[in-house]
Amino acid sequence: MTCRPRCGSDMGLIVKTSARAIIPLIGIFGAYIVMHGHLTPGGGFQGGATIAGAGILFLVSFGLDEMKKHYNKSLYSALEGIGGLVFLGAAMLGMGVAFFYNILWHNGPFFNGKPGTLLSAGFLPIMNLAVGLKVFTGLISALTAIALYRRWKS
Amino acid sequence: MIQFQFITAFLLIVLGIYAFLAKRNLIKLILALDIIDSGIHLLLISLGYRIELNEVPTAPIYTGYETLKSPMVGPLPQALVLTSIVIGVCVLSLAIALTINAYRHYGTLDVRALRRLRG
Amino acid sequence: MNGEAILPYLIIIPLFGAFSMPIVSLAGRKAREAWAVIISGATLALGSALFYYVWESGKIVLYTLGAKSPLGQGVNFPIRIVWEVDTFGALMVLMVTFVSFMAVIYSLGYMKHDTGLDKYYTLIIILELGMLGIAITGDLFNFYVFLEIMSIASYALVAFRNDTWEGIEAGIKYMFVGSIASSLILLGIALLYGQYGTLTMGYLALKLSQNPTVVGKVALALFIAGLLFKSGASPVHMWLADAHPAAPSSISAMLSGLVIKIGGIYALTRILFSIYGTSISTKTVGWVIIVFACITLIVGNAMAVIQTDMKRLLAYSSVGQIGYILLGIGIGLTAYGSQTGEIALAGAIYHTFNHALMKALLFLIAGVVIHQLGTRNLNELSGLAKTMPKTTFAFLIGAAAIIGMPPLNGFASKWLIYESSAIFNPLLGAIAIIGTAFCTAAYVRVLYTFFGRPSEKVMKAKDPEGTMLWPILILTIAIIVMGLFPWQISDKIMIPAVKTLENQLAYVSTLLGGA
Repeated sequence: MTCRPRCGSDMGLIVKTSARAIIPLIGIFGAYIVMHGHLTPGGGFQGGATIAGAGILFLVSFGLDEMKKHYNKSLYSALEGIGGLVFLGAAMLGMGVAFFYNILWHNGPFFNGKPGTLLSAGFLPIMNLAVGLKVFTGLISALTAIALYRRWKS
Repeated sequence: MIQFQFITAFLLIVLGIYAFLAKRNLIKLILALDIIDSGIHLLLISLGYRIELNEVPTAPIYTGYETLKSPMVGPLPQALVLTSIVIGVCVLSLAIALTINAYRHYGTLDVRALRRLRG
Repeated sequence: MNGEAILPYLIIIPLFGAFSMPIVSLAGRKAREAWAVIISGATLALGSALFYYVWESGKIVLYTLGAKSPLGQGVNFPIRIVWEVDTFGALMVLMVTFVSFMAVIYSLGYMKHDTGLDKYYTLIIILELGMLGIAITGDLFNFYVFLEIMSIASYALVAFRNDTWEGIEAGIKYMFVGSIASSLILLGIALLYGQYGTLTMGYLALKLSQNPTVVGKVALALFIAGLLFKSGASPVHMWLADAHPAAPSSISAMLSGLVIKIGGIYALTRILFSIYGTSISTKTVGWVIIVFACITLIVGNAMAVIQTDMKRLLAYSSVGQIGYILLGIGIGLTAYGSQTGEIALAGAIYHTFNHALMKALLFLIAGVVIHQLGTRNLNELSGLAKTMPKTTFAFLIGAAAIIGMPPLNGFASKWLIYESSAIFNPLLGAIAIIGTAFCTAAYVRVLYTFFGRPSEKVMKAKDPEGTMLWPILILTIAIIVMGLFPWQISDKIMIPAVKTLENQLAYVSTLLGGA
C-alpha cells in the first residue's frame, strides 16, 4: 500500500493543466442547473452535486496539501447552516395561511412573472439557491474529511 | 408489447439482494445496497408513465410552449424518486466513512472478521 | 390556544435549532449546550400543549402544507401533503419530547470528556425531529422521509465513539440491517402507488376498502417485514443486542426507549388500523403477529438471563418487552371491535409509554455506573449499594416497574395484557407469564449483585452530581406518580386513544370533509 509519489502530492502536469481549464466550466454549468431549476430538469440538489464535482476534481488533481490551504472547516460549517436557515425562512414567509404557502407567487412583489420566464414560480429560485449552497458545502466537507483520514499511516 | 422497464427493475432488485447475501467484501455490500435502491427508483418512475390520447407524454414542467393537447407524465413519482436519491447518497457517504474506520481497526475488509461482539 | 396553529411549530423549532447549531457553536461550549437545552425545552412545552388540546377536545387535528384545504381545485380528492394527529399520535409526541429533554440534560454532564460535540448535539436534535415527524404525519411518503431522517441520525450516533472497535462494528451491522428494512418499506410504498395512484393515508384507506387486490396484500406483507426488522422482533433481533450497548448511554436511552417504538410499533399500528383496517382478513394477519410476538417474548427474556454485560442485558430485556407490545397489538387486531381487543390494544399503548420511561431510566443509570467506575461487567460491580445508594434505589424502582410490581406503573399495563391474553386464548397468557418469570430472574440477579459485598473497584465510586442526577430523579418520580393512578390513566387516556384508533371512518372523514 505505498504511493509512488508521496501521498498528498499532485497528479502531474498534464492533469493539472486540464483541471485548471475544466473546473470553471463545471462551476458555470452547475450554476446554470441551480438557477434554472423551475424551468428545466435540475434544481438545488443536482446543481449542488455538480459544483461539488468541480471541488472534488480540484482535490484529486492538485493534491491534499493544496486543498488544505483553501479549505476552512468552520467557514464551510457556517455556510451550511446559513443555507438551511434561508430555506426555512423562505418556507415560513407565508405562515399566515399555512407552512410552505407560496406567497411570493400569489401576491408577491418580485417572483410572479409568466410561467416559463426566469423570475417566476414564487420562492422556488430562493430555495434552489439555498439547497445548492448547502449540498455543495456539505459534500466538500464530507469528502475532505475522508481524504484527511488516511493520515494514520504516515 | 413487452414492458422492459418493469422486468429490468425487478431484475436489479433481485441482483442486489443476491449480492448482499453472497458477497464478503464490505465495499461490495455497500454497492449491493445502492443497486437495490436503483431498482426501486426505476420501478417508481416507470409506474408514472401513462399514455392518454395516443400521444407520447413529455416531462412535467410548464415551459410556456405547450399546446392544449400535450400530455405529461405523472409528477408525483418524480418528486418521490428525487428525495429517495438524496437519502441514498447520505447513506452511501456514511457507509463509506464507517468502512474506512473499520479498515483502520480490523486491518481487513472481510465482513466475516466483524465478529468480536457475540453472545 | 388552537391545535392547528401550534402544529407546524413542532417541526419548525427543532429544524431551526439544528440548522443554527454550527453557527452557535462558534461562540463556545457553553453557548452550544444552552442552545440545545433551550430547543428541546421549547419542544417539550409545545408537545405537552398539543397533547392537552387533542385530549381535551377529542378532535383529530388536520393541517395541510401549502394551502388551506387538502383537496385540489375543482376535484374532490386530496392532492396535498397533510399532517393528521389523533389521541394516539399526541401521546407519542408527549413521550418523545419528554424523554428527549431528559436525554439532552443528561448528556450535558455525561459527554464532557468527548470531542466533536457540536455534531453530537446537532444529531440528537435531528433524531428528535425525525421521530416527531413520524408521529404526526398523515401521508405515506412523508412518513418514509422522516423515517430515513431518524434512521440516518441513529446510525451516526451509534458509531459516535469511532476510536473504539465496538462502536464501528455495531454501527456497520445496524446500518446494513436498517438500510435493507427501509428498502423493503420503500418497495411496499411503490407497489401501493402503482396500484392505487395516491399516497395520502385517509384516501388510500377509502380506495383499499372499495377495491382490495393482491398487490395491496403483497404491499402489506412487505410493510410488516420491514417494520418488524426495525422494531427488533424476534427472528431478526440480533442487531439490537449489538447496537444499543455500543452507543453512548444517553443515546442508548433514546434508542431503546423511543426509536424502536416510533419507527416500528407506532408505524405498524398506524398502517394496520388506519390504512388497512377492515379491508383485510384481520384474523390471519393478527395470528401472524401473535406468533412473532410469542417468539420474541421467550427469546428476548431468556437471553437476558445469561448476560454478564449490563447494557447488553438491558438491550435483550428491551427485545422481550417489544414482544409484550406486539402481543397486545396482535390480539387487538384478531379480536377487532370486541371488548377483549380494546383492552389488549389499550394495554399495548400503555406499555409503550411506560416502557419508554422505565428503559430510559435504566440506561441512564447504566451510564452513571460506567462514568464513575469505567466497567460494564457485572462480575466486577458487586456491592454498589454501599457507595452509591441513590443510584441503587433508582435502579430498584426501575427494575420493579419492568417486572410489574403493584404500586408502580408497569403493573397496570402488564395486567391489561395478561387479562386480555388469558381471555382470548389461555396458552398465550401462559406464555406471557413465562416471559415475566425470565425477566424477573434477570433483574433479581443484577440486584443481588448490587447488594452484595463491595469489591475494590466499587470502593472508589460515589454518587453522580448535578446534571446527571436530575433526569434520574425526575424519571423516578414520574414512574412512582404514574403508578399511583393506574386505572384513572387507563380509562381516561388509553381507552379513548384506542377508540379513535379503531374508528377508521373518523380518520377518513376528517381528511375529506375539508380543512
